[in-house]
Amino acid sequence: MTAQAFFQVLASGLLMGLLYALIAVGLSLIFGLMDVVNFAHGEFLMVAMYATFGLWAIVGVDPVLLMPLVIAFMFVFGAAVYLGVVRFAMRAKTNSGMVQIFATFGLAILIQGVSQLLFSPDYRSIPASWLGGRTVSIGGVFLPLPQVYGGLISVLAFAGLYLLMSRTDFGKALEATREDQGAVALVGIDRNKVFALGWGLGAALVGLAGSVLAIFYYIHPQVGGPFALVAYVVVALGGFGSVFGALAAGLIVGVVESFAAIAMPPAMKSIPVYLLYLGVVFIRPSGLFGRL
Amino acid sequence: MQHDPAASGKTLLDVQGLTTAYRGLVAISDISITVAAGEIVVVAGANGAGKSTLLKTIAGMEQSRSGTVTLLDRRIDTMPAHEVTALGLAYVPENKRLFPRLTVSDNLRLGSYLHRGKADREAPLDQVFALFPRLKERLQQRAGTLSGGEQQMLAISRALMTRPTLLMLDEPSQGIMPKLVDEIFDAVVAIRKTGVTVLLVEQRLAESLEIADRAYVLQTGRLVLSGNAAEVRDHPDIRRVYLGL
Repeated sequence: MTAQAFFQVLASGLLMGLLYALIAVGLSLIFGLMDVVNFAHGEFLMVAMYATFGLWAIVGVDPVLLMPLVIAFMFVFGAAVYLGVVRFAMRAKTNSGMVQIFATFGLAILIQGVSQLLFSPDYRSIPASWLGGRTVSIGGVFLPLPQVYGGLISVLAFAGLYLLMSRTDFGKALEATREDQGAVALVGIDRNKVFALGWGLGAALVGLAGSVLAIFYYIHPQVGGPFALVAYVVVALGGFGSVFGALAAGLIVGVVESFAAIAMPPAMKSIPVYLLYLGVVFIRPSGLFGRL
Repeated sequence: MQHDPAASGKTLLDVQGLTTAYRGLVAISDISITVAAGEIVVVAGANGAGKSTLLKTIAGMEQSRSGTVTLLDRRIDTMPAHEVTALGLAYVPENKRLFPRLTVSDNLRLGSYLHRGKADREAPLDQVFALFPRLKERLQQRAGTLSGGEQQMLAISRALMTRPTLLMLDEPSQGIMPKLVDEIFDAVVAIRKTGVTVLLVEQRLAESLEIADRAYVLQTGRLVLSGNAAEVRDHPDIRRVYLGL
């Protein structure tokens, strides 16, 4: 393999990894906050992609400009899912862990069904956009512009998330709630509000990824599944609940997958990713940065 | 909330016929107590007498079965705990419930979460540092790494950051080295001087009667004795059972 080919594979892996991290971080955030695994996470991504597609079809504005609208919509959507579904699932007196799993899993099926009803099972795409189909060349390494844009958005999102967590009162309230959700009432914080905002934030982050993905990927009701699977691997690898573990693990998964894709038949490119995941789970069950 | 001297003597907290049960077992039964503005009131009793349950129920962390709790003429027994805090009742539970991975500074900052405006949020900090100067040296340390006494100081300070009218302390002297116990009791007196009313649960009856105005004694979930601090101290049963005289 030439050096140039090596860097080509590495760079595309890193870009895809940044996107994987952005898809996974909301899942990790919500899990860390309240020990709930959102089994509809892939469907959140799909909703964001359809939202981008739908807005593009109606308004006719480039997806890049629609992004703020999409994440605002996803924020409201995430908070509504908490307030309308998860909040009640958490109140189950017995086996509430199972109730949460089935509630979010049921929600996933519902969202898929509704999308199919509204948009049909057809594969959709946004054929013409500013970034679609363009590439940039950096030192002989060719990179598709939508992925470069996605990587940039992801880096900015993680930087913003870091500032939010470390500098703002809401960030401290999030951290305090994940430490001891019963104790935040002692300082006058309503944990339900923090949970709702946490779900909103988690959905907005995966929404950001969806608005990027919609530019270069096919959109259909089942599109979330494979990405959700990768997101679960990223979250487990990085450590459940760890935001920056998700970033590191996303990059690792992206790079491993990228090299695997040229070393073996495309159909098998996921095998090394899951092998890596198995290895980490055996050696360090809490993930790379987890504190389980 | 700021203390209004003119309100001194007015009933701040009024608990009537409060009963709380855990899984069908009655922990406190038909408890009625009042706390007037500006007072230090102590609730005493042996282990398992229901002192902690009483405070938990007042703070809204535990659901009562019957009875009423009124804070400044507002029913609080039907409110969620965070609203009770917002109304000016700060509660330091027995196990403190600090945020151990967060720094001392962040724990304090969360205490003033409900207040907006920099001046409003930082004013109580000076009071807290005057009360417990050693917290100022520990600001960047994680709360979980503090000693037992320092954690108690931080828990009281976090409660003061909410700017309460009524501060409820559950066994603040527990698990603390003797030297610091005096410091905590001195702090309670100093806190009252700033206009905050204090409801204190303590097993160290002798020391707490020294600083309290009035006392209630609980036994197996029921109120068995009440009166001003001197009366309670001189009561023959109290002298025999609790003070060992």
